[in-house]
Amino acid sequence: MKSNAQQVAQVEAADGDDLMRRIGQLTRTLRQSMRELGLNKEVEKAAAAIPDARDRLNYVARMTEQAAERSLNAIDRAQPLQERLGREAEALDAKWQAWFEHPLEPDEARDLVKVTRGYLQNVPVVTRKIHAELLEITMAQDFQDLTGQVIKKMMDVVHEVEKQLLQVLLDSVPEGREREDMQHRLAGHWYPGVVEDGGALINGPQISGDADGVVSGQDQVDALLDELGF
Amino acid sequence: MIDKSMNVLVVDDFPTMRRIVRSLLKELGFANVDEAEDGQDALGKLQAGSFQFVISDWNMPNLDGLEMLKQVRADDRLGATPVLMITAEAKKDNIIAAAKAGANGYIVKPFTAATLEEKIAKIFEKLGK
Repeated sequence: MKSNAQQVAQVEAADGDDLMRRIGQLTRTLRQSMRELGLNKEVEKAAAAIPDARDRLNYVARMTEQAAERSLNAIDRAQPLQERLGREAEALDAKWQAWFEHPLEPDEARDLVKVTRGYLQNVPVVTRKIHAELLEITMAQDFQDLTGQVIKKMMDVVHEVEKQLLQVLLDSVPEGREREDMQHRLAGHWYPGVVEDGGALINGPQISGDADGVVSGQDQVDALLDELGF
Repeated sequence: MIDKSMNVLVVDDFPTMRRIVRSLLKELGFANVDEAEDGQDALGKLQAGSFQFVISDWNMPNLDGLEMLKQVRADDRLGATPVLMITAEAKKDNIIAAAKAGANGYIVKPFTAATLEEKIAKIFEKLGK
Protein backbone atom coordinates (compact mmCIF):
# COMPACT_ATOMS: atom_id res chain seq x y z
CA MET A 1 0.00 0.00 0.00
CA LYS A 2 1.33 3.43 -0.96
CA SER A 3 1.97 6.01 1.74
CA ASN A 4 0.05 9.27 1.69
CA ALA A 5 3.18 11.18 0.80
CA GLN A 6 3.79 8.98 -2.26
CA GLN A 7 0.22 9.52 -3.40
CA VAL A 8 0.52 13.29 -3.07
CA ALA A 9 3.78 13.33 -5.03
CA GLN A 10 2.18 11.26 -7.79
CA VAL A 11 -0.78 13.61 -8.05
CA GLU A 12 1.53 16.64 -8.07
CA ALA A 13 3.66 15.12 -10.82
CA ALA A 14 0.57 14.42 -12.88
CA ASP A 15 -0.60 17.99 -12.32
CA GLY A 16 2.85 19.29 -13.28
CA ASP A 17 2.90 17.25 -16.49
CA ASP A 18 -0.58 18.41 -17.29
CA LEU A 19 0.35 22.04 -16.75
CA MET A 20 3.42 21.75 -18.99
CA ARG A 21 1.34 20.07 -21.64
CA ARG A 22 -1.25 22.83 -21.51
CA ILE A 23 1.36 25.58 -21.69
CA GLY A 24 2.92 23.84 -24.68
CA GLN A 25 -0.46 23.66 -26.35
CA LEU A 26 -1.16 27.32 -25.68
CA THR A 27 2.21 28.34 -27.09
CA ARG A 28 1.56 26.32 -30.23
CA THR A 29 -1.89 27.84 -30.61
CA LEU A 30 -0.52 31.33 -30.09
CA ARG A 31 2.25 30.85 -32.65
CA GLN A 32 -0.17 29.33 -35.10
CA SER A 33 -2.69 32.13 -34.78
CA MET A 34 0.05 34.75 -35.01
CA ARG A 35 1.19 33.14 -38.23
CA GLU A 36 -2.36 32.99 -39.52
CA LEU A 37 -2.88 36.65 -38.72
CA GLY A 38 0.47 37.59 -40.25
CA LEU A 39 1.61 38.95 -36.91
CA ASN A 40 4.90 37.06 -36.84
CA LYS A 41 6.01 39.33 -39.68
CA GLU A 42 5.19 42.38 -37.57
CA VAL A 43 7.18 41.04 -34.65
CA GLU A 44 10.07 40.13 -36.94
CA LYS A 45 10.08 43.66 -38.31
CA ALA A 46 10.16 45.08 -34.81
CA ALA A 47 12.96 42.70 -33.77
CA ALA A 48 14.99 43.51 -36.88
CA ALA A 49 15.20 47.14 -35.81
CA ILE A 50 16.94 46.23 -32.56
CA PRO A 51 20.52 45.44 -33.73
CA ASP A 52 20.66 48.66 -35.74
CA ALA A 53 19.36 50.55 -32.71
CA ARG A 54 22.11 48.97 -30.60
CA ASP A 55 24.79 50.13 -33.08
CA ARG A 56 23.36 53.63 -33.01
CA LEU A 57 23.32 53.77 -29.23
CA ASN A 58 26.92 52.55 -29.20
CA TYR A 59 27.82 55.39 -31.55
CA VAL A 60 26.14 57.90 -29.23
CA ALA A 61 27.96 56.48 -26.20
CA ARG A 62 31.29 56.59 -28.04
CA MET A 63 30.83 60.14 -29.32
CA THR A 64 29.74 61.55 -25.96
CA GLU A 65 32.65 59.83 -24.19
CA GLN A 66 35.15 61.25 -26.70
CA ALA A 67 33.69 64.74 -26.33
CA ALA A 68 33.83 64.59 -22.54
CA GLU A 69 37.45 63.41 -22.62
CA ARG A 70 38.45 66.02 -25.17
CA SER A 71 36.90 68.80 -23.08
CA LEU A 72 38.38 67.60 -19.80
CA ASN A 73 41.84 67.22 -21.35
CA ALA A 74 41.69 70.79 -22.66
CA ILE A 75 40.62 72.03 -19.23
CA ASP A 76 43.48 70.10 -17.59
CA ARG A 77 45.94 71.84 -19.91
CA ALA A 78 44.42 75.32 -19.53
CA GLN A 79 43.95 75.39 -15.76
CA PRO A 80 47.66 75.36 -14.70
CA LEU A 81 48.42 78.06 -17.28
CA GLN A 82 45.91 80.52 -15.93
CA GLU A 83 46.63 79.59 -12.30
CA ARG A 84 50.31 80.43 -12.82
CA LEU A 85 49.40 83.72 -14.47
CA GLY A 86 47.37 84.70 -11.39
CA ARG A 87 50.00 83.51 -8.90
CA GLU A 88 52.81 85.40 -10.63
CA ALA A 89 50.73 88.60 -10.76
CA GLU A 90 50.03 88.37 -7.04
CA ALA A 91 53.71 87.84 -6.24
CA LEU A 92 54.75 90.83 -8.38
CA ASP A 93 52.05 93.02 -6.90
CA ALA A 94 53.29 92.17 -3.39
CA LYS A 95 56.84 93.24 -4.39
CA TRP A 96 55.55 96.53 -5.83
CA GLN A 97 53.55 97.14 -2.65
CA ALA A 98 56.73 96.61 -0.62
CA TRP A 99 58.58 99.11 -2.82
CA PHE A 100 55.89 101.73 -2.22
CA GLU A 101 56.18 101.17 1.53
CA HIS A 102 60.01 101.11 1.71
CA PRO A 103 62.24 102.49 -1.01
CA LEU A 104 64.30 99.73 -2.71
CA GLU A 105 67.97 99.82 -3.59
CA PRO A 106 68.40 100.95 -7.22
CA ASP A 107 69.58 97.43 -8.23
CA GLU A 108 66.57 95.79 -6.62
CA ALA A 109 64.21 98.30 -8.22
CA ARG A 110 65.74 97.69 -11.65
CA ASP A 111 65.34 93.92 -11.17
CA LEU A 112 61.69 94.28 -10.20
CA VAL A 113 60.95 96.41 -13.25
CA LYS A 114 62.70 93.84 -15.45
CA VAL A 115 60.78 90.88 -13.98
CA THR A 116 57.50 92.80 -14.28
CA ARG A 117 58.20 93.58 -17.93
CA GLY A 118 58.93 89.91 -18.56
CA TYR A 119 55.64 88.97 -16.94
CA LEU A 120 53.69 91.45 -19.07
CA GLN A 121 55.30 90.09 -22.22
CA ASN A 122 54.43 86.54 -21.19
CA VAL A 123 50.72 87.25 -20.52
CA PRO A 124 49.58 87.37 -24.18
CA VAL A 125 51.62 84.23 -24.95
CA VAL A 126 49.82 82.32 -22.20
CA THR A 127 46.35 83.75 -22.98
CA ARG A 128 46.78 82.66 -26.59
CA LYS A 129 47.43 79.12 -25.34
CA ILE A 130 44.36 79.26 -23.08
CA HIS A 131 42.31 80.64 -25.96
CA ALA A 132 43.32 77.66 -28.09
CA GLU A 133 42.19 75.28 -25.33
CA LEU A 134 38.84 77.09 -25.05
CA LEU A 135 38.36 76.70 -28.79
CA GLU A 136 39.18 73.01 -28.41
CA ILE A 137 36.38 72.75 -25.81
CA THR A 138 34.00 74.52 -28.22
CA MET A 139 34.92 72.12 -31.03
CA ALA A 140 34.40 69.12 -28.74
CA GLN A 141 30.71 70.05 -28.55
CA ASP A 142 30.18 69.07 -32.17
CA PHE A 143 29.08 65.64 -30.94
CA GLN A 144 25.73 67.15 -29.96
CA ASP A 145 24.68 67.69 -33.55
CA LEU A 146 25.78 64.22 -34.65
CA THR A 147 24.37 62.29 -31.68
CA GLY A 148 21.23 64.44 -31.85
CA GLN A 149 20.60 63.28 -35.40
CA VAL A 150 21.20 59.64 -34.42
CA ILE A 151 18.93 59.93 -31.36
CA LYS A 152 16.13 61.43 -33.47
CA LYS A 153 16.40 58.39 -35.76
CA MET A 154 16.38 56.10 -32.73
CA MET A 155 13.17 57.71 -31.53
CA ASP A 156 11.57 56.85 -34.87
CA VAL A 157 12.69 53.23 -34.41
CA VAL A 158 11.27 53.13 -30.88
CA HIS A 159 7.94 54.51 -32.11
CA GLU A 160 7.92 51.92 -34.86
CA VAL A 161 8.66 49.00 -32.51
CA GLU A 162 6.03 50.23 -30.07
CA LYS A 163 3.51 50.49 -32.88
CA GLN A 164 4.22 46.95 -34.09
CA LEU A 165 4.00 45.50 -30.60
CA LEU A 166 0.76 47.36 -29.84
CA GLN A 167 -0.67 46.04 -33.08
CA VAL A 168 0.23 42.48 -32.09
CA LEU A 169 -1.42 42.95 -28.69
CA LEU A 170 -4.43 44.59 -30.25
CA ASP A 171 -5.03 41.67 -32.57
CA SER A 172 -4.90 39.17 -29.72
CA VAL A 173 -7.12 41.00 -27.23
CA PRO A 174 -10.90 40.40 -27.41
CA GLU A 175 -13.36 43.22 -28.00
CA GLY A 176 -13.93 45.42 -24.98
CA ARG A 177 -12.58 48.24 -22.90
CA GLU A 178 -8.97 47.03 -22.93
CA ARG A 179 -8.96 46.78 -26.70
CA GLU A 180 -10.39 50.26 -27.08
CA ASP A 181 -7.68 51.65 -24.81
CA MET A 182 -5.02 50.01 -26.95
CA GLN A 183 -6.55 51.27 -30.14
CA HIS A 184 -6.51 54.69 -28.62
CA ARG A 185 -2.85 54.39 -27.67
CA LEU A 186 -1.95 53.10 -31.10
CA ALA A 187 -3.72 56.03 -32.71
CA GLY A 188 -1.95 58.42 -30.34
CA HIS A 189 1.42 56.93 -31.09
CA TRP A 190 1.04 56.87 -34.79
CA TYR A 191 3.08 59.67 -36.26
CA PRO A 192 2.56 59.65 -39.97
CA GLY A 193 5.64 60.98 -41.63
CA VAL A 194 7.94 60.45 -38.67
CA VAL A 195 8.97 57.00 -39.77
CA GLU A 196 9.04 57.87 -43.44
CA ASP A 197 12.26 57.44 -45.33
CA GLY A 198 13.85 60.85 -45.66
CA GLY A 199 14.98 60.04 -49.18
CA ALA A 200 18.16 58.38 -50.39
CA LEU A 201 20.25 61.46 -49.69
CA ILE A 202 19.29 62.05 -46.07
CA ASN A 203 20.91 59.44 -43.86
CA GLY A 204 22.52 61.40 -41.07
CA PRO A 205 25.91 60.54 -39.58
CA GLN A 206 27.49 57.28 -40.70
CA ILE A 207 27.90 55.27 -37.53
CA SER A 208 30.64 53.15 -39.08
CA GLY A 209 32.92 54.46 -41.78
CA ASP A 210 33.22 51.29 -43.84
CA ALA A 211 29.76 51.12 -45.41
CA ASP A 212 29.42 51.02 -49.21
CA GLY A 213 29.47 54.33 -51.05
CA VAL A 214 30.41 56.24 -47.92
CA VAL A 215 33.46 58.46 -47.47
CA SER A 216 35.41 57.95 -44.27
CA GLY A 217 36.67 61.49 -43.89
CA GLN A 218 37.42 64.90 -45.35
CA ASP A 219 40.39 63.55 -47.39
CA GLN A 220 38.08 61.27 -49.35
CA VAL A 221 35.56 64.10 -49.88
CA ASP A 222 38.32 66.26 -51.33
CA ALA A 223 39.61 63.41 -53.50
CA LEU A 224 36.14 62.73 -54.89
CA LEU A 225 35.53 66.42 -55.67
CA ASP A 226 38.94 66.64 -57.39
CA GLU A 227 38.09 63.57 -59.40
CA LEU A 228 34.84 65.18 -60.51
CA GLY A 229 36.70 68.34 -61.46
CA PHE A 230 35.13 70.60 -58.85
CA MET B 1 42.57 88.44 -49.80
CA ILE B 2 39.23 87.64 -48.19
CA ASP B 3 37.12 90.55 -47.00
CA LYS B 4 36.52 89.49 -43.40
CA SER B 5 33.80 92.09 -42.95
CA MET B 6 31.48 90.28 -45.36
CA ASN B 7 28.07 89.09 -44.12
CA VAL B 8 28.03 85.34 -43.51
CA LEU B 9 24.89 83.25 -42.97
CA VAL B 10 25.25 80.02 -40.96
CA VAL B 11 22.38 77.57 -41.55
CA ASP B 12 21.91 74.57 -39.24
CA ASP B 13 18.95 73.18 -37.31
CA PHE B 14 21.15 72.37 -34.28
CA PRO B 15 21.89 75.50 -32.19
CA THR B 16 25.09 73.90 -30.86
CA MET B 17 26.51 73.51 -34.35
CA ARG B 18 25.55 77.09 -35.25
CA ARG B 19 27.42 78.30 -32.18
CA ILE B 20 30.47 76.21 -33.02
CA VAL B 21 30.64 77.44 -36.62
CA ARG B 22 30.05 81.01 -35.41
CA SER B 23 32.93 80.69 -32.89
CA LEU B 24 35.22 79.32 -35.56
CA LEU B 25 34.31 82.11 -37.95
CA LYS B 26 34.98 84.67 -35.23
CA GLU B 27 38.31 82.96 -34.64
CA LEU B 28 39.07 83.32 -38.36
CA GLY B 29 38.22 87.01 -38.19
CA PHE B 30 34.71 87.06 -39.64
CA ALA B 31 32.80 89.56 -37.52
CA ASN B 32 29.43 89.73 -39.27
CA VAL B 33 27.76 86.37 -38.87
CA ASP B 34 24.03 85.71 -38.83
CA GLU B 35 22.21 82.42 -38.28
CA ALA B 36 19.22 80.61 -39.78
CA GLU B 37 17.66 77.41 -38.42
CA ASP B 38 16.64 75.75 -41.68
CA GLY B 39 16.62 76.26 -45.45
CA GLN B 40 13.33 78.13 -45.41
CA ASP B 41 14.52 80.55 -42.74
CA ALA B 42 17.79 80.98 -44.64
CA LEU B 43 16.10 81.80 -47.96
CA GLY B 44 14.01 84.44 -46.19
CA LYS B 45 17.11 86.01 -44.63
CA LEU B 46 19.09 85.81 -47.86
CA GLN B 47 16.33 87.52 -49.80
CA ALA B 48 15.84 90.19 -47.15
CA GLY B 49 19.50 90.97 -46.53
CA SER B 50 22.81 91.07 -48.26
CA PHE B 51 24.97 88.04 -47.56
CA GLN B 52 28.20 87.33 -49.38
CA PHE B 53 28.69 83.80 -48.07
CA VAL B 54 26.49 80.91 -46.88
CA ILE B 55 27.59 77.95 -44.74
CA SER B 56 24.86 75.33 -44.60
CA ASP B 57 23.97 71.97 -43.11
CA TRP B 58 22.15 69.45 -45.31
CA ASN B 59 19.62 67.55 -43.21
CA MET B 60 17.18 70.13 -41.83
CA PRO B 61 13.40 70.29 -41.40
CA ASN B 62 11.11 72.36 -43.68
CA LEU B 63 13.70 72.90 -46.41
CA ASP B 64 16.93 70.93 -46.52
CA GLY B 65 20.32 72.32 -47.49
CA LEU B 66 20.41 70.84 -50.99
CA GLU B 67 16.97 72.23 -51.88
CA MET B 68 18.00 75.59 -50.44
CA LEU B 69 21.18 75.53 -52.53
CA LYS B 70 19.16 74.78 -55.69
CA GLN B 71 16.78 77.64 -54.96
CA VAL B 72 19.66 80.02 -54.30
CA ARG B 73 21.26 79.05 -57.63
CA ALA B 74 17.93 79.54 -59.42
CA ASP B 75 17.48 83.03 -57.97
CA ASP B 76 18.59 85.95 -60.16
CA ARG B 77 19.89 88.09 -57.33
CA LEU B 78 21.26 85.38 -55.00
CA GLY B 79 22.47 82.98 -57.68
CA ALA B 80 26.19 83.71 -57.40
CA THR B 81 26.44 83.57 -53.59
CA PRO B 82 29.12 81.05 -52.57
CA VAL B 83 27.72 78.17 -50.52
CA LEU B 84 29.79 75.82 -48.36
CA MET B 85 28.09 72.64 -47.17
CA ILE B 86 29.00 71.30 -43.70
CA THR B 87 27.11 68.08 -43.17
CA ALA B 88 27.09 64.63 -41.58
CA GLU B 89 25.93 63.19 -44.92
CA ALA B 90 28.97 61.19 -45.98
CA LYS B 91 27.74 59.22 -48.98
CA LYS B 92 29.49 59.71 -52.30
CA ASP B 93 26.08 60.31 -53.89
CA ASN B 94 25.59 63.23 -51.50
CA ILE B 95 28.89 64.85 -52.39
CA ILE B 96 28.20 64.43 -56.10
CA ALA B 97 24.65 65.80 -55.76
CA ALA B 98 25.91 68.84 -53.82
CA ALA B 99 28.64 69.53 -56.36
CA LYS B 100 26.18 69.23 -59.24
CA ALA B 101 23.75 71.58 -57.51
CA GLY B 102 26.51 74.17 -57.34
CA ALA B 103 28.03 73.86 -53.86
CA ASN B 104 31.37 75.68 -53.65
CA GLY B 105 32.74 73.35 -50.96
CA TYR B 106 31.84 70.26 -48.96
CA ILE B 107 32.93 69.48 -45.39
CA VAL B 108 31.90 66.30 -43.54
CA LYS B 109 31.16 66.41 -39.84
CA PRO B 110 32.93 66.05 -37.50
CA PHE B 111 35.41 68.58 -38.87
CA THR B 112 38.31 70.64 -37.58
CA ALA B 113 38.93 74.38 -37.41
CA ALA B 114 41.80 73.93 -39.87
CA THR B 115 39.51 72.26 -42.42
CA LEU B 116 37.02 75.12 -42.26
CA GLU B 117 39.77 77.70 -42.69
CA GLU B 118 41.27 75.83 -45.62
CA LYS B 119 37.94 75.38 -47.45
CA ILE B 120 36.91 79.02 -47.00
CA ALA B 121 40.30 80.17 -48.30
CA LYS B 122 39.99 77.83 -51.29
CA ILE B 123 36.47 79.01 -52.14
CA PHE B 124 37.44 82.70 -52.20
CA GLU B 125 40.71 82.01 -53.95
CA LYS B 126 38.76 80.32 -56.80
CA LEU B 127 36.17 83.12 -56.90
CA GLY B 128 38.91 85.74 -57.06
CA LYS B 129 40.42 84.23 -60.20
